[in-house]
Amino acid sequence: MKKFLTTAFLFTLAAVAFAQGAPAVQKSLFEGQYVAHLSLAIAAAGCGLAQGKAVVAACEGVARNPQAAGNIRTTMIIGLALIEALVIYVLVAAFAIK
Amino acid sequence: MEHHASLFAKWLTQVLGLAQHPWPGFAHGAALSVLERYDHLLNAALAALLAMLLTTLVRRNLTRIPGPFQQVFEGVVGGLKDMINDNIAHHGENYLPFIGTMALFVFFNNLFGLLPGLSPGTSNWNVTLGAALVVFGYYNFHGMREQGFVKYWAHFAGPIWWLAPLMFPLEILGLLSRILSHSLRLFGNIAGEHVVAGIFFGLMPILLPVPMMFLGLFFGLIQTFVFTMLATIYLSGAVSHEH
Repeated sequence: MKKFLTTAFLFTLAAVAFAQGAPAVQKSLFEGQYVAHLSLAIAAAGCGLAQGKAVVAACEGVARNPQAAGNIRTTMIIGLALIEALVIYVLVAAFAIK
Repeated sequence: MEHHASLFAKWLTQVLGLAQHPWPGFAHGAALSVLERYDHLLNAALAALLAMLLTTLVRRNLTRIPGPFQQVFEGVVGGLKDMINDNIAHHGENYLPFIGTMALFVFFNNLFGLLPGLSPGTSNWNVTLGAALVVFGYYNFHGMREQGFVKYWAHFAGPIWWLAPLMFPLEILGLLSRILSHSLRLFGNIAGEHVVAGIFFGLMPILLPVPMMFLGLFFGLIQTFVFTMLATIYLSGAVSHEH
């Protein structure tokens, strides 16, 4: 948790640094592109964790019962696509914000 | 999202000499012809035409010893048939033509981004929304046909009568949000992949986009599979009788 907070803080600092380089129109950290980028990063992190868990479970299943590999693969791919869809919604929202 | 007309639409505009004018509230007032404005429809129509052409060619030249093309299409039809039979209990093969059409349409649209000068039709929400709406209409129609109008809609009220006022609106909301999730998933994946490939192309036009394009090939296939699979699952949920 501490690590996460530090990383979040550093990201915020980076955003401020970039914002200072930008011309006259100053945006706050909670509007526009920053929100889009940050939310996409958070969504991608969660998606990575979730997909990792799904793939681990699928690998274990295949290792224990190699004959079921086909079914497990199909189910896994569908599950991965459904998990990924959540990030895709954020991506669409990020496009919309920009 | 800003709009970039595909090169093919621009070229066709010049060849046909179409009039260009700004569209209200679109692309920051840039002058576009009708083809450039609606290039997603052009791409979708081209992909559909290509799919029809290929399938017609294969169908015309059916042989007992299949050539490579026929073998590929036999594999596709067989796979789809297996998938539908796995999910829909009784006479699922009645739905094969529709599911197969959607699969081919979405697949060819997804892969259109790999051709230079064209963009995938499914990287525009209008096209995927259309596809999702067609699927939505289809499974609702067949659900009502199989189960009867009253029984089909009573199904959404849940098994306990005094919970029905709560369940029915929720289930209807869930039914409607399927359209959104079904279409946005496809659109977001393909559009995102295409945008990333475009950025790679901007960095270095030679060799660098190739891995991304390969990934695009893979994603196109996977997303087609997911779209078709979900359509089949929705259909099976609508037409299956519950005992």
